Amino acid sequence: MSDSYLEIKNVDFTIGGKIKVKNASFVIENEGDTLCILGPSGIGKTTILRTIAGLENIEKGSIKLNGKLISSKDKHVEPEYRNVSLAFQDNSLFPHYTVEKNILLGTERNKVKKKKKLTSKEIIDLLDISKILKKYPHEISAGEAQRASLARSLLTQPDLLLLDEPLSNVDQSFKEEIQVRLKKILSKLKITTIIVTHDSYEAFYLGHKCAIILDSQIKQFDDPYNVYHFPNSVEVVNFLNRGILIPAKVTGENSLENKDLGTINGNFIKHYPKGSNVQLLLQPEDLEHDDKSNLKLEVVDRKFRGTNFIYTLKTSSDLLIPVFVHSHHEHQHEADEKFGIKRPIHIDHIVCF
Amino acid sequence: MVKNLNIWFLSSLLISVGVLIPIVTVFFSFFEETSNYYQILKDTFLFEYIFNSFVLLICVLVLTFIIGTTCAYLVSFYKFPFSDFFKWALILSFAVPPYIYAYSLTAFFENYGTAFTILTNLFGEGEYNKHIPKFDGLIGAVFSLSFSLYAYVYILSRASFLYQSQNLIDLGKSLGFSKFKSLYSLILPAARPAIVAGLSLVAMETLAEFGAVDFFSINTLTTGIYNSWITFDDLAFSNRLSFFLLIFIFACFIIENYSRKKAKYHFNSRGGFKQKEKIKLSGKKSFFAFLFCFIIFLLSFLFPLSQMLYWTIKFPENLFDIDVISLTLNTIYLVILSSIVLILFSLISNYGNRVSRNKVLNFLSTISISGYAIPGVILAVAFISFIAWFDENIVKSLGFLSIKKIFIGSVLGLVLVYFVRFYSLAFNGIKSGYEKINISVDESSYLLGYSKKKTFMNIHVPFLRNSLLFVGILISLEIIRELPITLILRPFNFETFATTAYISASEDLLEAAAVPSLFLILIATLFIMLTSKYILRENER
Repeated sequence: MSDSYLEIKNVDFTIGGKIKVKNASFVIENEGDTLCILGPSGIGKTTILRTIAGLENIEKGSIKLNGKLISSKDKHVEPEYRNVSLAFQDNSLFPHYTVEKNILLGTERNKVKKKKKLTSKEIIDLLDISKILKKYPHEISAGEAQRASLARSLLTQPDLLLLDEPLSNVDQSFKEEIQVRLKKILSKLKITTIIVTHDSYEAFYLGHKCAIILDSQIKQFDDPYNVYHFPNSVEVVNFLNRGILIPAKVTGENSLENKDLGTINGNFIKHYPKGSNVQLLLQPEDLEHDDKSNLKLEVVDRKFRGTNFIYTLKTSSDLLIPVFVHSHHEHQHEADEKFGIKRPIHIDHIVCF
Repeated sequence: MVKNLNIWFLSSLLISVGVLIPIVTVFFSFFEETSNYYQILKDTFLFEYIFNSFVLLICVLVLTFIIGTTCAYLVSFYKFPFSDFFKWALILSFAVPPYIYAYSLTAFFENYGTAFTILTNLFGEGEYNKHIPKFDGLIGAVFSLSFSLYAYVYILSRASFLYQSQNLIDLGKSLGFSKFKSLYSLILPAARPAIVAGLSLVAMETLAEFGAVDFFSINTLTTGIYNSWITFDDLAFSNRLSFFLLIFIFACFIIENYSRKKAKYHFNSRGGFKQKEKIKLSGKKSFFAFLFCFIIFLLSFLFPLSQMLYWTIKFPENLFDIDVISLTLNTIYLVILSSIVLILFSLISNYGNRVSRNKVLNFLSTISISGYAIPGVILAVAFISFIAWFDENIVKSLGFLSIKKIFIGSVLGLVLVYFVRFYSLAFNGIKSGYEKINISVDESSYLLGYSKKKTFMNIHVPFLRNSLLFVGILISLEIIRELPITLILRPFNFETFATTAYISASEDLLEAAAVPSLFLILIATLFIMLTSKYILRENER
């Protein structure tokens, strides 16, 4: 653990004397990795960033960056000496300077380091802000201000980059493109980054690791794939809101039984004795549509999501189950119609609680 | 927190404590021994002092309320000939300090004064003196103070009226209210916090006024403080009187602060705000609106200005009797020195507060700005008391030479007391500029590797440039007009326009007072015209 690039050990993250996240420990193993922090509003995600940046002190635990202790009860390296950059969620551009001057202020620090791998022009082009360079912060949109702020942070070439909801104000149509560009820049510059976001897809795309914060603690710290497919608690399932929990009974080494859906086969990720009553995680992609199936459920709602539809189906015990169907599927079902589910049901990895 | 104990915190703390010293001295002096004069005065004039102060206060408040709110109402809600001119011209009365207004009033209405000359020129020789009213004594003081100070009520109520939504006016109409009923049942109550804030400032200035009440020989608490010190050499008693006056003033200060908080709330609640359109007046209504504003402008500014100008032209020899260049240089010297000191220390103190986020420091800063509420006479006396005590008990006991001469009767002492008196102007002016800088701007700066000093110099100072200029001009305006502190603490043979005017007037040489008064009005007018843009823009935003 001591060889990790960033090491947070037993830290209480506090703001205004109030503990937001208790006794947190996590690491970023390698330089250039990205960690995404997910959690509901007000849980303390920003406090974590502010503390790592040195804007808040800690009374317990320690923070080490690149092997150097930067925060503990007895030691506090001031923010200006950490070479950690934080791009705030709100507009923190200097109001009396143009966007260009604001961005170029970011280059002052890296003049000393001489490890420039991308010029300011390249970053300006990548984030598509060349048209607003001569404008003042009050003359640009919130999304443009966020990109300008991001450019300034990237230009400092920090040892650690902290981004607080970096794309929350960026237009939806442009967001995915910026995500792709941002990932490229971070990878090219090999900047170690922590991103706070409420968008789980953004976190899954950008992060090498994800941390889920719930109830004042880090509930899960894992790869994005595992966080999605192997959530470690009911709270994480509820927070991600990408599936539902239905009651089931373990009937064998690889099978369970639900009274509405019948037998469900698959691989348990954790062993449960035969006969156990469990809560099975059912995600939208776990069930397949089959018009010929004799397992029919009632359609309650249908949402069009571009590439697919999400049907909400009601079972005989009034459970509401989400199911994905490709949007090019030959026919669609309206509300109150019957919707067939392919049998036997097979789920690759069975997650139960 | 130990983290907060940095150079900024300590500088801020020192500045706040330094400003507080004369204020605290006044309170502690209350318990000191006084001479027999106290007993004599208690049995004779003390009641008169308090009574006169109170009557003066009430009369000035009523008059400034009527003038200030009526003018503000007319220029904010209606369009009539020259309404845009009156919008800013009505604040020019600030250029005429009450004592100069008092000189003008006396010069015009006295026996064989300007009014007499005008009547003689118009109608030939006659016994006009009997028919010309005399505005002296308490009435003279009430008029002088009201026409000089109504602009506080005018500016603040105008700002409040401007923020009143058209919806409020429409609401009055839909309820079938007449314009007058809308005014007293909707518009004035909505602007109440701003009006009270303006009146509180008028109250503080009235209680602190020295020049005009002294000129009209009215015994108020302020003149009592001055006389007990100058005439009876009883510093302890003047401190005791100061204590009484301070209680009066702190009551006003608390009311003003309380109202201001509400006013802030009022300005921020912009939900459903609809810009109101000014009503175009025509016919008689337009004429009367114009007439009212013109009369106020005439009486408050044109009248004293022309009276002083008339005398300067009539007695040109006075122009050569005073050393205009030396007076200008002295005034500029004081203005520049005090502005630099005030702005510099207020900036440091504001930044220290911002960086440290310390509750004790915040509290000290809040009470240290109360210096503005304390009359110049009291501050000057308190300063002398403190220096005398410090010299006697600390300096001499340590075997050093007396420091009295360094601080009393010197420019240094003068600037220090100006500092205490006008600290709140500078501190609050810069603070309002700072409130526009989000704290995340500071944090971004640190994260870009800027130290606190570099953040201060490279980020804050350039951003606050306009606020600093505005504050500098306001301070200059106050110092040009300031009388009692300069009078008490100025070095020997060091005069300003204000002290020269006062000395001539107190020797009954009103004609001689005209020249410095005229210069003072002209310079102050220039400064007001420079700031009016900021004042009006700030309020219209």
